[in-house]
Amino acid sequence: MSEATGVIHDIGYQRYTGPRLGRRQVFGALYGHGLRTVFGLGRSAKAKIFPWLVVAVVTVVAAGLTAVRSQIGQVVLTYAQFADAMSWLVIFFVAVAAPELVSRDLRSGVLPLYFSRPLPRGDYALAKLAALITALWLLLGGPQLVMFLGAAFTTSRGMRGVWDELLDLLPGLLYAGLWAVVFASIGLLVASLTGKRAFAAGGIVAVFLMTTPVVGVLSIMPSRTVNELAFLASPSSLVSGVGTWALGDLLTQGQEGGIPIGGFGPVYAVVALLLVAACVSLLLLRYRKVAAR
Amino acid sequence: MSTVTWITARGLFGRSRFLMLLPLPLILIGLAVLCRSLGVDPGQWGPPVLVGLGLAVVLPVVALIVGTGVLGAEIDDGTVVHILTKPLPRWQIVLPKLAVAAAVSAVTAGIPLYVAGVLADSVRLGLALVAASAAGALAYSALFLALSLVTRRPVLLGLVYVLIWEGLLGRFVNGTKVLSIQQWVIALADRMAPTSLLGTTVSVPVAAVLTALVAVGFTVLAIDRLRSFSVAGETS
Repeated sequence: MSEATGVIHDIGYQRYTGPRLGRRQVFGALYGHGLRTVFGLGRSAKAKIFPWLVVAVVTVVAAGLTAVRSQIGQVVLTYAQFADAMSWLVIFFVAVAAPELVSRDLRSGVLPLYFSRPLPRGDYALAKLAALITALWLLLGGPQLVMFLGAAFTTSRGMRGVWDELLDLLPGLLYAGLWAVVFASIGLLVASLTGKRAFAAGGIVAVFLMTTPVVGVLSIMPSRTVNELAFLASPSSLVSGVGTWALGDLLTQGQEGGIPIGGFGPVYAVVALLLVAACVSLLLLRYRKVAAR
Repeated sequence: MSTVTWITARGLFGRSRFLMLLPLPLILIGLAVLCRSLGVDPGQWGPPVLVGLGLAVVLPVVALIVGTGVLGAEIDDGTVVHILTKPLPRWQIVLPKLAVAAAVSAVTAGIPLYVAGVLADSVRLGLALVAASAAGALAYSALFLALSLVTRRPVLLGLVYVLIWEGLLGRFVNGTKVLSIQQWVIALADRMAPTSLLGTTVSVPVAAVLTALVAVGFTVLAIDRLRSFSVAGETS
């Protein structure tokens, strides 16, 4: 029996005695980081080009609308119609943002590092989704706020006019939230399927673009029911349908607008809910397996 | 068939990713067949299917994914060095890749367009659409191939062109239509098979000249950019 000769030296590593932050803080950190990633904050100038290009275009359009309204006193686009008119830019923004959020992590293989922390699988996906939803909502809501401020300061009816304008703005913001939820969940699901940002961006655009003409074709079919259900086929017209049903006149404010969905409003709401639920659960399912590779 | 052609084709078809391209043409054919079988007037379903889906979505999106993929994918994962270090003139790298990209896009978009064109009007319209979309595929592929050498984010820049220039501005600002490949394709197809289904404001000679100019110009640009190409890591 030989004596143990090894000695463990105390070389002065300090133990961590501070507070240990839990799951909520991990989620919050991922969310905050995701939101910064979407707008390219804290990254090189190249990463800022595309997101801020979209933000700039949207803001300029809103400023132009405000200027026109204050000059000729006519509402060109209501708050909700503004969201509809910007749909192509929203699609482009999702195609820029969603691959940045999830595809980079897949490609550089850092997911095992994330999941070696006390971070449930679902939290990662949900934090990224929440970040994208917030970013899209800011993208659509910010310009609406610009339009509101312009209208509020040029109103000729004092506080009463401002209050009416605010009542118009709130459904618009709600509607922007609906846009954000639907587009973010579809876009993030497509992006999470591939680690190549280029393919993810192409895939997202393909999904959104190829469904739009389907609506156009279905709405000229020789059946009224099919015509009124046609707008289910594409995410953007689906959102418009839900908006027309749920918010109705609040969206169009007496102007011509809205889409002819007949009495199928509840169907649109249910389909939108199912679509979002399906996308989110597929996303969670995807992240249950993805780190195993 | 040169080795570069072979490598490029295998790089495109060798992965299951290529299957992602299939739904686009299938939806186009499916909608055309559906409309035809229900007896809808071709004057009504022709424009949304042929132009709205076929020429405005399927052709540019397929050309974008394929065109930026043939060279961009190799630049992304760094394997382009293997080709660049071979004693090949640069044009022998660019031209085969361009040929593969244009051929794949032309076939992927041309077959469904032919079917839809025949169902909508006549075989003549189908053939005209195939020929015009082949010319368009060449122009798009040259543009996107050059983009993948000029910038590190070719797909996003290509999307800016397809979505914002052709899609958004083309609808509201009439002047931008003169510089839109999509409108040139429509003009060419309309010239070869005059129907009421296709209509554009761009004149045919302008469209033909500009299509050729874009195809040749961006190919030359791509060859030139590949001549002094620096390989760098992924952008942050």
